[in-house]
Amino acid sequence: MSVIDKNHTDRYDTPEEPFALDINDLGNFRYDMQHCIKCKGCYWVDHTYMPGVHHSVRCPSNLWKEFDSYCAAGKMRIGLGMLDGKVEWSDHLLEIIYACTLCGACDVGCKRNLDLEVDLTLEAMRVRAVKEGAGPLPVHKDIIKKIEKTGNCYGASADRNGWMDADVNPAEKADIIYFVGCSSSYVNQSVPKAITKVLQSADVPYMLMKDETCCGNIPFSVGDLDTAKKIAEANIAKVKESGARVLMTGCAECYRMWKVDYPKLLGIRTDELGFEVKHFIEVADEALAEGKLKLTEPVNRRITYHDSCNVSKTCDPWEPYEGKRGWMGCIEPRLDRRRGKSGLYDQSRELINAVPGIDFAEMPRKKENALCCGGGRGAKQAFPEMAENAARDRIEEVKFVGAGTVVSACPWCLSNFSETAARDGEKIDVLDIAELLAMAVK
Amino acid sequence: MSINKYAYEAIKAVVGEANITDDPADCMGYRSGPGGYESGTGYERVMTRLPGAICMPRTTKDVQEIVKICARYDLAFVPYSTGFYGPRSHPHLDDELIIDMKRMRDFEIDAEHFFITVQPGVVYSQIQQECFEHGAYVVVGGGGAQTSAVANLLNDGWSPLSFRVGLPQRRILGLEMVMPDGEIVKFGSLADSDDPFWGEGIGPDLRGILRGYTGLLGCLGICTKMAIKTLPFQPVVPEMQGVSPDTSLKLPEKRVKWINFTMPSLKSIEDAHIMLGNAEVGGAITKVPTFWRAIAKASCKEEFWDLWLKETEESVANFFLVRVMIIGFTSEEQFDYDYNVLTDIITELGGKERRTKPSDESWFKNADSAGMWLMTGSYVSVDYVMDSFDQAFKQGPNYRDLKDKYTPPLMPDCKDLGWFQSCEMGHLGYYEYLIYWDQREDTNGMDQFYVDSAKMNVRNGAYPALLSSHQPLYLTGPAYGPNYHNWILGLKKIFDPKWLSHPPLPLAHDEFCRRAAWMHDIADWPVPDEFPYPDSLKKKMAAAHGDI
Ligand SMILES: Cc1cc2nc3c(=O)[nH]c(=O)nc-3n(C[C@H](O)[C@@H](O)[C@@H](O)COP(=O)(O)OP(=O)(O)OC[C@H]3O[C@@H](n4cnc5c(N)ncnc54)[C@H](O)[C@@H]3O)c2cc1C
Ligand code: SF4
Ligand code: SF4
Repeated sequence: MSVIDKNHTDRYDTPEEPFALDINDLGNFRYDMQHCIKCKGCYWVDHTYMPGVHHSVRCPSNLWKEFDSYCAAGKMRIGLGMLDGKVEWSDHLLEIIYACTLCGACDVGCKRNLDLEVDLTLEAMRVRAVKEGAGPLPVHKDIIKKIEKTGNCYGASADRNGWMDADVNPAEKADIIYFVGCSSSYVNQSVPKAITKVLQSADVPYMLMKDETCCGNIPFSVGDLDTAKKIAEANIAKVKESGARVLMTGCAECYRMWKVDYPKLLGIRTDELGFEVKHFIEVADEALAEGKLKLTEPVNRRITYHDSCNVSKTCDPWEPYEGKRGWMGCIEPRLDRRRGKSGLYDQSRELINAVPGIDFAEMPRKKENALCCGGGRGAKQAFPEMAENAARDRIEEVKFVGAGTVVSACPWCLSNFSETAARDGEKIDVLDIAELLAMAVK
Repeated sequence: MSINKYAYEAIKAVVGEANITDDPADCMGYRSGPGGYESGTGYERVMTRLPGAICMPRTTKDVQEIVKICARYDLAFVPYSTGFYGPRSHPHLDDELIIDMKRMRDFEIDAEHFFITVQPGVVYSQIQQECFEHGAYVVVGGGGAQTSAVANLLNDGWSPLSFRVGLPQRRILGLEMVMPDGEIVKFGSLADSDDPFWGEGIGPDLRGILRGYTGLLGCLGICTKMAIKTLPFQPVVPEMQGVSPDTSLKLPEKRVKWINFTMPSLKSIEDAHIMLGNAEVGGAITKVPTFWRAIAKASCKEEFWDLWLKETEESVANFFLVRVMIIGFTSEEQFDYDYNVLTDIITELGGKERRTKPSDESWFKNADSAGMWLMTGSYVSVDYVMDSFDQAFKQGPNYRDLKDKYTPPLMPDCKDLGWFQSCEMGHLGYYEYLIYWDQREDTNGMDQFYVDSAKMNVRNGAYPALLSSHQPLYLTGPAYGPNYHNWILGLKKIFDPKWLSHPPLPLAHDEFCRRAAWMHDIADWPVPDEFPYPDSLKKKMAAAHGDI
């Protein structure tokens, strides 16, 4: 006799509740919101990795404003209040919801011990804000209009391929299609230049997308799923048309969009996209392992690495889910929960450590415990002070380990760190990992 | 809902605009539950209310001024360090002020004299790392390294690491309190110097008004600073390893080791606890609930149930495992010596060493207590007590039998005997009984079991931890005092005549029992017709909870 039978199953009357991992309906996450235990694993660095009394927080939102409402524990409670009609839309509520980089730190922190879907809940709150006409914020609406008009989130009318100089030699046809992204195309042009230099030096053929447009990160992140879905469909069609096997990005935000959020928007699994999604660091690391990428030129610097959120805690592949929750909250069918285990932690460190002359120092908050730079998911555009505050805190950590250079794998981190460092008169260098590798190839 | 606007403005002038809010969304962000400790219980549903405002002081002076403003405006407040302790950390009246202590995070370490001084915003894992780096360790409460050390020591403070210095009171040194009228009282040697080394100080030991066996849950003022005793460890800093969710501390092989032993009987486990204490070796010895092993093995809730449903009452009754930690405090040789003594004891008792991971996943620096909620979603400990071994060993069967009556809604646990361990180098036993349920069930049975367990302890003459603020005071006070309820209520009258510090504690559970209809049958002890509240509190209670 099973334990349940022995203990009078008939006397347990746990309801069976259908639910799906679908952010279109916040109600799907009622159980998760009801079961947040205020342990604040979403706020603190994993306690095993707690470095002491400094550098101990992992939530950029709650680092900026310290009321509990700004950490996931508070947001889960507010989400429940939204669902039950107990909180009304206000500018302040929108700030709580949107001054958050959806960095995923809370999600991995929570899933260290529990099975709660925090990240999806936060996304679903934004979708609800949009559906109810409260969101997104005016600055986000403006960006969405720009994307619709110009195909990029800056509203720039210049040629998207303006970054290409004479040294850039894409193939007409290749297995890899390099999706450059808005930030690299217009603001951080040194990044695609470096990426293409590294690929070319390692003899890794790549092609570029014809008529590339924005990946849709900001519309998706602020909850405008209709716009994001249209963009996803158009972009996926372009890759299919190109015949590429691998879609490569050099931007962590684009990477997550392609790998996780396009499938999420389309209701398919990541491996049903019809092509693989890789970040440049995966491609470069493979080339390094195969001996094709030769890093020979010394770079004599003490550097540290900032794990950009979307190549670390948010990038587990996506799998749609529909099921039922019953006895003691167990779900059926089973679900391999996304706990942020697919981070590209080793690849980036292997690459950096392969550069001769590098004196590499880890920051106390590393890998899944890294504090987000504050620059992603449309949060900086609406709340620049929050973004600066996060970058400033991280720059302190860079200095704490005695590094003069911080390297990341996302042009949005590059911008946010460089802008904050410049504003504060900090004497640190900020580099994309591709730029570092480009210095080390002949 | 909001607090008096003049009070709000006055507090704003103290903490600054950025550190006070009465925005409804912020207040909702601070609500009690519905998940967490005591989640979905009647106590939580009946007794807790949304705050009217939240403020975040930075200094003792800020706290003092805030409390004085509260006194001036008759504004009830609740101190809140991390808020992890469920409904007991949240307002029980409408329009109450949460004083969130998280910005108070000063930390000092005196490595030479083995103590630290902290404010309430500092959590154990932070302290532990700082201690490790100075060859010391702090006893992290079993509630987890994510709790405020100050709040934990004010109220609880036990852990398997209590083997050496168990009694939490002994680890509290000098401290500073802002009393409910705003007066600052310094305890221990802080009373007449800046040196907090002595908890006792001159004159009567004031720690007695801070806590007895357990604490007062914030109903007699706010602790703003506490010096805490640390213990000598060994010099190697444990290495942090793994990627979430598989993170742990790698223990230095020749200095710290957890070892699991299978034993032939329950009696042999009990004997191991006593004998290890007598031999004065080791850092911890414990027998934990059997289902915790399934939590540790499971990667998700469903897998836990797959594993646990394979167990039977018989398999659980015949599973004998004891977990011991040895520490080479002074040298590798001493580590070897302790290991040899330990294996002699275990061999004599017929036990066998099992392969054990060379890492710590829980007690030193972790917060895996959050995993408690993995199984069912809802949890509370109904008892935790340091007592004679004899008594600690008896509690398991007592609770097991009582719990059967309340299963369901409580989780089927195959009649597990709960958790016991040795404290104070084997001079004291420790017993804890934990219950789990799904809060989507009808949870009245859980509320009843909680109080019924106190009645059981009264009947058996067992000394339970959850007295005063956690259980009905009019039940436990006369039974154990026979007048300690009068003593606490007398203190309350002297130090907090307006009952502003976390009302209606220490009578909150009494209130719950008289307000929740499903508690009426079980609440058969005498209570006064009127609780000794000041008139202002009577009005506030009626406004928040209705007339009796
Ligand atoms: C899963 C779980 C297991 C547990 N197991 C154990 C265990 O094995 N050992 C153990 O020792 N404890 C245990 N506990 C108890 C628990 O760890 C509390 O002691 C701890 O949570 C208190 O710290 P906090 O930061 O959560 O406090 P909070 O939730 O902020 O406050 C707890 C109480 O103290 C009051 N308070 C907070 N700060 C102050 C202050 N500065 N001055 C005055 N009053 C204040 C609050 O009003 C509240 O009543 C357990 C709890 C849980 C949830
Ligand atoms: S880690 Fe999860 S359960 Fe814990 S407080 Fe954060 S959201 Fe809630
Ligand atoms: S996603 Fe990041 S910023 Fe947002 S609540 Fe979670 S940890 Fe904080």
